[in-house]
Amino acid sequence: MTTTAYFVEVAPPPRVGPDPGSTPARPRTATVAAKARLRRVPKDLADLPVGSRSRTRTALGHVVLGALSVVCVFPVYWMYIVAFREPGTALGQSLLPWPVSLENVRHVWDAIPMGRMLANTFLVALLSAVGQTLIALLAAYAFAAWRFFGQRVLFLLFVGTWLVPFQVTMIPNYVTLSKLGLLNTLSGIVVPTLCSAMAVLMLRQHLAAFPKELLDASRMDGRTSWGTLWRVVVPNMRPALASLFILLFISAWNEYFWPAMVLQRSDSVVQVGIRGFMGAEGNNWGALMAASGLACLPILLLYVVLQRHVIDAFVRSGLK
Amino acid sequence: MFVEVAAPKQSAAPGAGGGDRPSPLRRIAAALPPYLYLVPAVVFLVTWTYRPFAQTVELSFYKWNLLPTSPLEPVGLDNYRQVLALPELHEALVNTGWYVLGLLPFSVVIPVAIALLAQNVRGRSATLYRALIFVPTLVTPVATAAVWRWLLEPDGGPVTRALDVFGIGPVNVFREPGPALVAMIGICGWQMIGFAVVVVTAGLSGINRDYADAASLDGATRAQITRRITLPLLSPSLVFLALMTILLSAQWTFPLIDTLTQGGPGGATTNIYYLLWQFGFRSFDAGYAAAAGTLFFVGFAVVAMFFVWLADRLSFHDD
Repeated sequence: MTTTAYFVEVAPPPRVGPDPGSTPARPRTATVAAKARLRRVPKDLADLPVGSRSRTRTALGHVVLGALSVVCVFPVYWMYIVAFREPGTALGQSLLPWPVSLENVRHVWDAIPMGRMLANTFLVALLSAVGQTLIALLAAYAFAAWRFFGQRVLFLLFVGTWLVPFQVTMIPNYVTLSKLGLLNTLSGIVVPTLCSAMAVLMLRQHLAAFPKELLDASRMDGRTSWGTLWRVVVPNMRPALASLFILLFISAWNEYFWPAMVLQRSDSVVQVGIRGFMGAEGNNWGALMAASGLACLPILLLYVVLQRHVIDAFVRSGLK
Repeated sequence: MFVEVAAPKQSAAPGAGGGDRPSPLRRIAAALPPYLYLVPAVVFLVTWTYRPFAQTVELSFYKWNLLPTSPLEPVGLDNYRQVLALPELHEALVNTGWYVLGLLPFSVVIPVAIALLAQNVRGRSATLYRALIFVPTLVTPVATAAVWRWLLEPDGGPVTRALDVFGIGPVNVFREPGPALVAMIGICGWQMIGFAVVVVTAGLSGINRDYADAASLDGATRAQITRRITLPLLSPSLVFLALMTILLSAQWTFPLIDTLTQGGPGGATTNIYYLLWQFGFRSFDAGYAAAAGTLFFVGFAVVAMFFVWLADRLSFHDD
């Protein structure tokens, strides 16, 4: 009974993992207080009035970030502009696609099996992300919930994959794929990438911050480790798992190397298909931009909807 | 009391006698779970990373043209000797160095400068900027290649026309060695700069402003604060970005090289991974690819060890 009561008390989801996006409230107020104090400091200590200096710096910051934003967004914007212009007017200079025309998109749709490619790429990205998340969750759980013989060596096995790039192992992998009959199939792209060491390391870090009391309490309640994983760990890790899933999905969508290797001659996913289209259409820029724009569209739409989560997922994967 | 009651429920191993000490079988069963959870991940790691890696090392001592019917011919160290003498290898190595050097400004230097200059921009406008500069990171590499080929098109591409205003004549960028390499670095840099700025900004916002305020009360100038307080506290993010650039820049440039230049003109934009790819799937020389791959692995391992060591030495933590 006592353990159950304890468990209920702890149960509200704890804040798992650091949140680099937001500064905690306390330091900010402390900063404000410090700044207020600074303003009262006699003038000879501060070389310039604090207010004016920080205002010019803020303006400078806007200029720098504004310029960078233009540099970053303009090529993408231009891609869509050219895609939605009438064919043959690709060289036009107007910043708006007027008159709007879907002719380029239609041409792409007729010339290459764009719908099938997008569906296939979506399927590949989805299956990769689901598989990677599941496998990484199990492995990370093992590392976080137990102390066991060989733990360090097994962990180094995951870290070590950073040192073995795909290109070093590609020929034996190509041979294995051909023996399994997976060349030129979608499974051939998904299967070799199912264990993502990055995902394991990321989840292990989140799980390391998971309160041990919850695991102990759950065990004392008579749950098996499997039950604890799905009823205690996963519900409390939802934000971390979701952000990892987004990251893995986007990476799988944008992955180039495996599709290029596995699908040497077919065009069943977007990445390889557009490479072929680039070769075939040469200077038909409108069509090429339409095809590229379609290839990025799903990820960009996802980004519009989940903007903050997408950025957090990428930054977290970096900040170890 | 409580624990002893819970134990039998957990591992209901049949045939476990009710002795005083748990039987060996049951002790093994109790130690098993972590290994079971690791099985899928380790199986995939071994199958697709470590076993093929061992096979690559083995292949590097053979001559083989990738055809299942043709035999492997043992050649000892010949592959290594011949690969090391190839001018292509030297060119690819030098280019990889150029790529890393050229990308470090985009992944470390400029992002730090921008993040420091823009520290005072906060609130909604900061969120908007962040959202915009992150876009290139998400664009599919093939689309990036297509867009930039169009922007740099010598016959009326927007960048060409913009350069024309400054009196720089039309350059067929991807046909001339120097400009081609610069363009490849620029395009790859465009893809990563936003991500790097966001990482550095996140690192900066994790630094307690009280240190800087205290130092400024003590009369430290802004430059002193940046050099002595901010940058050291930021060093974990910076080392991470630098290490990522060194280890992964060859990986990131691969799709751009494959779609834009195929390593040309005359090998000017190739890198080590693309060279491996060509050895393997263009000239079908598995032995060369394996020998070169093994050499690159050793080189990268040394560089990575050095950086891990450096990260340990350099990292100051804000405790």
